[in-house]
Amino acid sequence: MDVDITGARIFFTIHTGIPWLGDIPISETIVVTWIVMAVITITCIVLTRNLKVENISKKQALAEMLVETANNFVRNNTGGNKFDGLIPFVSALFSLSIVSNLISLVGLRSPTADLSTEAAWAVVVFIMITAEKIKAGGVGGYLLGFTQPIPVLTPFNILSEIATPISMACRHFGNILSGIVINTLIYSGLTLASHALFGLIPGAIGSFLQQIPFLTVGIPAITGVYFDWFTGVMQAFIFSMLTIMYIANAAEG
Amino acid sequence: METQPLVTIVPWTFIAQILNLFIQVYLIKRFLFKPINEMLEKRQKLATKELDDARASKEAADALKEDYEHRIEKAHDEAAAIVSSAQKEAELRSDEMLADTQAQIVNMKSKAEADIEHEKKKAINEVKDEIGGIAMDIAGKVVEKEINEEDHRRLIDSFIENVGEAS
Repeated sequence: MDVDITGARIFFTIHTGIPWLGDIPISETIVVTWIVMAVITITCIVLTRNLKVENISKKQALAEMLVETANNFVRNNTGGNKFDGLIPFVSALFSLSIVSNLISLVGLRSPTADLSTEAAWAVVVFIMITAEKIKAGGVGGYLLGFTQPIPVLTPFNILSEIATPISMACRHFGNILSGIVINTLIYSGLTLASHALFGLIPGAIGSFLQQIPFLTVGIPAITGVYFDWFTGVMQAFIFSMLTIMYIANAAEG
Repeated sequence: METQPLVTIVPWTFIAQILNLFIQVYLIKRFLFKPINEMLEKRQKLATKELDDARASKEAADALKEDYEHRIEKAHDEAAAIVSSAQKEAELRSDEMLADTQAQIVNMKSKAEADIEHEKKKAINEVKDEIGGIAMDIAGKVVEKEINEEDHRRLIDSFIENVGEAS
């Protein structure tokens, strides 16, 4: 039995003549991202329907709680109201990440299982960090920051600066990918075990039951608690947390 | 179906995901944060307004209470004044009445005394008159006797009769 783990499927490609960028592939990543965005947006719309000032519904209480949590999350990690403008950004990042991670539970391929997604997010965060640093110390101060504390360390400083988005992207991607790999291995392992176990039954019944992977029912759900639920929530949280902390640190100079 | 490699960065997907991220930022801002923050602001305004209203009405109530207390105090004072004036009046009147009565009594007493005195005087005068009369009578009788024994006798008799009558 061959176990094959591949990247996202490409539904079709739009041919462009642009060199280097190449054709536009409409892959699972893109399509599922749209689904994720639709889910988030529809949830927001449903939650904020019929908003009332008094006698609020449970739905509204949940929406208010989400907003308050986002506000507190950003304010506690930056220590003040200075970065209130970032609240929707961090919320969008977190919600995209968590819904993308958990959407694999309904059988779709997570957009976060494609490094392009995390790389895109990490690059945006990196640009914001750099922008904050330049805003805090000016272009000269920013560039001079690389020679601290001694000029010899400049290459290492540049390396560590570039490492920030790469590590963010790869941390998130690696966790999700490892979940997929391990889930696939567990599935195929259990299928093989099931095949071997029911192969012990002699005759036609045995060879029939061999074809049905009974053991794959139930056990992956237990491992899924960690590899899908915990990792999914944790990585979304870590990514948002790092984003806000890096930006807050950058502003401090 | 064609698949992309497991670990790769597809330039178009990369660009699309950046755009998707910003679209999501806009959507989440527009559909979650804007309405909720507006509502929270409205609620805060309402709470502030209600607090102000409550404060104002409390102030009004306090003013009213003070006014009432003032009025009640005034009413108490008035009542006390009325009561004391009534008491004074009653005292005055009773004093007056007492004095009146006393005066009357004194009056009556003096009148009675005067009456008694008068009566006494009258009686004395009467007695005096009587005695005078008697003396005159007696004198007359005495004079008559000398004239007429018989008459004298008769006079004595009549005198005695008169005296008997008078007594």
